[in-house]
Amino acid sequence: MKKSSIILIVIIAVAIAMILVIYTDSSTYSTFTEAKEKKTELYVVGVLNKQKALHYDPKTNANHFSFFMYDNDSTECQIVFNGSKPQDIERSEQIVLTGKMDGNVFHATKILMKCPSKYNQDQVEVIETNATAFNN
Amino acid sequence: MDVNFVGENLLPGKIGQFFVILSFGTALLSFISYYFATVNKNKEDKSWLIIARIAFWINTISIIAIGVILFYIIHNHLFEYHYAWAHSSKALPTHYIISSFWEGQEGSFLLWMFWQSVLGSVLFFKAKDWESPVMTFIMLCQVFLASMIVGVQIFGFHFGSSPFILLRDAIQAPIFSKPDYLSLIPDGNGLNPLLQNYWMVIHPPTLFLGFASMVVPFAYAAAGLWTKRYKEWITLGLPWALFAVMVLGAGIIMGSFWAYEALNFGGFWAWDPVENASIIPWFTLIAAVHVMIANKNSGHSYFTATFLALISFVLVIYASYLTRSGILGETSVHAFTDLGLNVQLIAFNVVFFVITIVLLVVRKKHMPSTQKEEDIYSREFWLFIGALVLTVACVQIIASTSIPVYNAIFGTKIAPPLDPVKHYNRWQSGFAVIIMILTSITQFLKYKKTDPKKFFASTIASLIVAVILTAAVSYITKTYTNLIFILITFSSIFCILANIRVLAGAVKGKWKLAGSAVAHIGFGLLLIGAMIAASTNEVISINNTGYIAVSGFDKVEKPGDNLFLTEGEPVQMGEYRITYVGDSVAEPNVFYKIKYESIDEESGKAKSSFVLMPFAQNNPKMGGLIGTPATKHYITHDIYTLITAAASDLQAKNANIPADKKTGFEDYEEPATYEVNVGDTLRYRNGFFVIESVNKNAHLENIPKGEKDVIVGLKIKVIASDKKEYNVEPVFLIKDGTSYDFNKDVNDQGLRFRFSNILPKKDKLEIMVYQKPLPEKKWIVFKAIKFPYINFFWCGTIIMTIGFFMSIFKRNKEIKRLDQKQS
Repeated sequence: MKKSSIILIVIIAVAIAMILVIYTDSSTYSTFTEAKEKKTELYVVGVLNKQKALHYDPKTNANHFSFFMYDNDSTECQIVFNGSKPQDIERSEQIVLTGKMDGNVFHATKILMKCPSKYNQDQVEVIETNATAFNN
Repeated sequence: MDVNFVGENLLPGKIGQFFVILSFGTALLSFISYYFATVNKNKEDKSWLIIARIAFWINTISIIAIGVILFYIIHNHLFEYHYAWAHSSKALPTHYIISSFWEGQEGSFLLWMFWQSVLGSVLFFKAKDWESPVMTFIMLCQVFLASMIVGVQIFGFHFGSSPFILLRDAIQAPIFSKPDYLSLIPDGNGLNPLLQNYWMVIHPPTLFLGFASMVVPFAYAAAGLWTKRYKEWITLGLPWALFAVMVLGAGIIMGSFWAYEALNFGGFWAWDPVENASIIPWFTLIAAVHVMIANKNSGHSYFTATFLALISFVLVIYASYLTRSGILGETSVHAFTDLGLNVQLIAFNVVFFVITIVLLVVRKKHMPSTQKEEDIYSREFWLFIGALVLTVACVQIIASTSIPVYNAIFGTKIAPPLDPVKHYNRWQSGFAVIIMILTSITQFLKYKKTDPKKFFASTIASLIVAVILTAAVSYITKTYTNLIFILITFSSIFCILANIRVLAGAVKGKWKLAGSAVAHIGFGLLLIGAMIAASTNEVISINNTGYIAVSGFDKVEKPGDNLFLTEGEPVQMGEYRITYVGDSVAEPNVFYKIKYESIDEESGKAKSSFVLMPFAQNNPKMGGLIGTPATKHYITHDIYTLITAAASDLQAKNANIPADKKTGFEDYEEPATYEVNVGDTLRYRNGFFVIESVNKNAHLENIPKGEKDVIVGLKIKVIASDKKEYNVEPVFLIKDGTSYDFNKDVNDQGLRFRFSNILPKKDKLEIMVYQKPLPEKKWIVFKAIKFPYINFFWCGTIIMTIGFFMSIFKRNKEIKRLDQKQS
C-alpha cells in the first residue's frame, strides 16, 4: 500500500471523528419551560409580545434592555438583554434568542431577528400623496 | 377583469422579458451545439461549432441587453416594475442605484451570467481546440443561471423569477384594482442602509467574478476527462484556477473589510453561514491549485487534483443554494429571501455533482498514474498531505454550516453551535497550524527526492529563528497566554521565513517560485494579523453603571459594552477622555462627532486627540436607526466606534403628524390656567411675568369691530432670569355673541399666552400659559472596540493577492511554451 493511501485513510478517519465531535457542540431549539429546567445556555425561538412595553432607558443604564416574548408553545417570559436595544425589534416577525434562564427571567446574550423589511419586501406601503383620490 | 392602467411604461419590460427568454434559449442551443461539436468525429464538419458560436454571441448580447434594460428601469424609477420598487428609491444617488441593481437575487444571477459571458468570450479566443468541450460545460452552467430569471409558469410550476415582473403581478393588494394605482406609489422601498456603502458597489462584482471564474477550471478538468486529454488540462487550467483563487480571495477580503469598516458586526470575520459559504470553495480550489502544481512536477496525485478542481465548482453552486434558498433563515443575518427557486437550485447542484462523479468513475482506470511511490522527502508528498488537511478543514466548515440543511432533509431540530466564532476558531486554528507548518517544510523540499541531510540543515536554521521571533511577537502582542495562539504565531512566522528564503533565491535568478513565495508570505501575515486582532480586540467602552464587582455575583450583571454620552460632557474611557461634541446632518445620515483625547496623567492636558464621525441613518422603513462605524487607524491598532442608540430618533416624534391635523400646540407642554388680576406676578420656568394692564382699545387687523363687540388686550411683561424683558398682549374677543381668543408667543422663552376668558362674577381674568419643554440634551449610546495589529491582516491580504497575480503571470508563460512546443 502506498504511503499516501495510508495517510488518506487516517485523514478520513480523523474527518469522521471530527464530524461526530462537532455535534457535541451543536445544541437544540428549546422553549422557556425547558430552559427553566435545564438552566444551561440554549436557543429559544419565538415572537415579541407587542402588547407589553419594551424597556430601554439609556440614561439610567445603556446596557439594559428588557421585553416580553412568547416562545413556540406560547409561553410568555421576560427577557433581559445586556446591551442596547436592537433597532428594529418592534417590527420583528420572529426572534431567535441565545441565553439562559435565571429565575423567571431569561438572560439573553444574543438576539437575532427576522424583520419584514429585510426578508419580505412584498408589503406595499401606500403613501397618501393624493388623499382625496384615495378616499373616493 | 381588464383595467386600463394609467401611467405604466410596459415596453421596457416586454423587451427585457424577450431577451430573458432569448438568453435561456440561446444558452441551451449553444450548450447542445457545443456538445455535438465535441462528440462529432468528423473534424472537417464545423456546422455544430458555427451554430454554437452564433448562439453564444447572441446569448452574450441578450445578457447585456437585460442588464441595460434593468438599469434603465431602476434609473428612471419605473416603480410599476417590482424589482425597481423593491430595491431602489428616488433619493438614491447613481452609484447606489448600481448597487440596488444587484441587491436582489435576480440581479445577482444576472451579474454572475454577465461575468460568465465575459469569461466565455476570453475562452472563445484563447481556448483553441479546447473550445468545444470547455464551452459545453460553461454553457450548461449558463443554461441553469438563465433558467433562474426566466419567470414563466409551466404546468403550474413556477420556473425562475424574472426581474421584469410588474409590481401588480408580484403582489396582491386592493390598490392594484385602481387604474391610477401608480400615482399612489410615489417611491420605492429603497436600498437597505447597510448596503449604502461603496464596498457594496465593488464587493459583489468581484465576488461574483470569483464565483463565475471557478467554472473554468471545472470545465477544463471535465473536458480533459471527457476528451481523454488527461495531462494537458492541468497546464491549461492552472492559470484559470489561480485567477479564480485570486479574484474570489479578493472578493472575500473586500467583504470582510466591508464588514469591518461599514457594517456593525464588530469585526472582520464572524463565521456567518454566508461568509462560510464563500470561503469553502476558496479553500478547496487552493488545495486543487497545490495538487495541480505537484502533479505537473511529479506526475503524482492526478485523481486528487482533478477531483478538487471539479468539486470546487460544485461547492460554489452549493454555496449559492445555501445563501439563496432561505434555508439559513434562522442562523444567518444576511441570507437572501426564498424566491421559490429551491427546486431549480437543487437541480443545478445535482447535475454538476453527477457530472463530477460520473466522469471520475468512468475515467478512473485511464487516469495517468505513476507506479512509483512518492518519496517521503519530496515536495509532492507534502503538498498532497497539505491539500488533504485543507480539504478536511473545509469538511469541518461545511459540516457545521450545513446543520439547517440536515434539519430540512431529516426533519430534525438541531441548532447550530451557540457560539459559532468559538466553535469554528477552535477547529480552524488547529488546521491552520498544521497547514502552515506543512507550507513551511515543503519550501525546503525538492520535487521527487531531497537529500535528508540538506533538508534538516536548512530547516533547523529557519526553525530556530522562527522560535526566537515567535517569543518576541507573542510578548509584544500579549498573546502568550494561550498555547494555540503561540502555535499559530510560530507556524506563520516559520512559513514567512521559509518563503523569504525562497524569495531570496528568486532574486538570484530562480524567479519560478517567486509568486508562490509572495502569496505564502502574505497568507502568513494575514493569519498572524487575524489571530492577534481577533484574540486581543477589546471593547473599550466598558460601562460599569449598575455593576457591582462582587466575586460570585458578577455572573448575571456583566458590565455592558455600550456607553452613554451626553453632549458636551466628557467621560473617561480607559486612556481616553471622550466627548460627544455634536452632530451634523447630511440627509439621510446623521454624523456624530466624538472627540477622543489621550490625557497626560500628570499635567492633565491632552497629549493627542482625534475626532471620529460614526454615522447613523434613521430609516423607519428598514428598521429605525442603523449605525455605520468610524475607525481611527494607527499602525499598531485601530479604534472602532459605532453608534447603537441616539436621541435623534425621539426628537422626530412630531414630524409624522400630517400638516392639516396640526394644531400648532404640539410643541408645547400641557398649559397652566390661571385666574388673575392686574398687578399679579406669576412664575414660569425661566423667570416671572407681571399682568400689567387691560387694554380696552385693542384692535385686530382684518376684523372690524362691530357695535356690540368687545376686544380686550391683556398687557403682560415677561422678565426672564437673565433680566431680559418682553412685552406681550394676547387678545380676547366677543363677536356676535361668540368668544374667541388670539394667543401671543414669546419665542425666546418658549412661552405662549392665551387670554381665554373674562369672569365678571369673580372679577377675574383667565389666562392660559403654555411652555415649550426644555430642549432635551442630546445623547448617544455607543460602543468602541480596539483592534490591535489589524494592519498585519490587511497587509497580508494585499501581499497574498500580489503573489497570486505573479503566479498567474508565470503559469500563463508556461502555456505559451506548451503552445510553441506543439506548433
